[in-house]
Amino acid sequence: MIRRDPSYDSDVEALLERGRIIVPVPDVVRARSLARARAIMGVAVALPPKPMLAWWRRGLPLAAAASVALVVSTASALVAFRIRAVKDPAPPAPPMSPASAASAPIPMLVQLPPVAVDPLPSPAAHPQRLVRQVPSLESYAAELDLLQRTQVAYAGHDFSGALALVAEHGRRFPNGRLAEEREALRIRSLVAAGRTAEANRAAASFADRFPRSAMLPRLGTEP
Amino acid sequence: MGYVRLVHSASAVPTQEGTCLDAFKHELDYVFATLRRLGVSPGEIEDLAQEVFIVLYRNWAEFDITRPLRPYLFGVAFRIVCAHRRRRAREIPHPTLETPDGCPSPEGALQSKESIALLQAALESVPLLRRAVLVMHDLDDVPIVEVAKTLSISRFGAYSRLRKGRKELTGAVRRLSREGARR
Repeated sequence: MIRRDPSYDSDVEALLERGRIIVPVPDVVRARSLARARAIMGVAVALPPKPMLAWWRRGLPLAAAASVALVVSTASALVAFRIRAVKDPAPPAPPMSPASAASAPIPMLVQLPPVAVDPLPSPAAHPQRLVRQVPSLESYAAELDLLQRTQVAYAGHDFSGALALVAEHGRRFPNGRLAEEREALRIRSLVAAGRTAEANRAAASFADRFPRSAMLPRLGTEP
Repeated sequence: MGYVRLVHSASAVPTQEGTCLDAFKHELDYVFATLRRLGVSPGEIEDLAQEVFIVLYRNWAEFDITRPLRPYLFGVAFRIVCAHRRRRAREIPHPTLETPDGCPSPEGALQSKESIALLQAALESVPLLRRAVLVMHDLDDVPIVEVAKTLSISRFGAYSRLRKGRKELTGAVRRLSREGARR
């Protein structure tokens, strides 16, 4: 137990004793706070790895190795070609059609190890597959990410930044799953920035669009 | 003949995010009470509590969970309140659209004999840093060494502020009581 200061009289001591009791937060406020906390954590929980980034990370050493191999093999092929040209000068070849060029054997390239090109992932195959796999999840994560940044800007009292992010969210996801939260944040940012008239207009439009929103009672902006 | 075998499912491993949220949930009342004691108006408590959570969440991986969480949360809340007050001091005041915060005035508090409201009103008259030391030590029962460490001040500074803060608090309680008795 902490030793009390003797300068406290009994009244103040009794007051402090009562002040030590922590009053529980109302359930509504608790639920709202926890929902906001979950929204902040949302992106990390919903989509921890970023597929495109992971693909690039995995493929980068492979691509680097393939590039080195390609450069080395091209250089060695050029050297081999020059040596052969010096050793055995051939008559100039007749011009070839594209079809025959494709099928005709080229002695120089036969010597090249086939590994030179194979390790490079074909750029057309993987990204398309990835994009097809996660469009909705990705867009939801992007929405969450954007709204989280907006929330952070708002919490940091950067209201113009928050409004810019709200506008970006509106452009990218006009009817997104978090449109209601976005509009609520817009109103709160406008209010906090002192743009009362715009806040009132936004609140009226919010009430029209989301008449049953749980956030509506807290967004009354009329003084 | 077929049969069904009951198998215990693997228990869910608590994730880092989950434990952080659980800790915040567990200490939500304390965070709100601390912000209130540090003089944050009821209309702003929720937003500042979210800022406390953001800091907690960002630093949760490095947090030593064997140590008590409350002093840490108090330190975070104190710094957030300080920053918030600095911002407020810089801002050009404009008519806010918030409803009155519902915080009883000292007179109202005395009339309704609400001791907590009286204590809150008395705490308001103690400057923030001294109030932080006072609240941590005298209300949260945190040892002065921990108080000094949390608030990044020397032990001597903590004792000095505590002594002064106690005098101010006692004086404020007496003054408010006298004013209440006169009305």
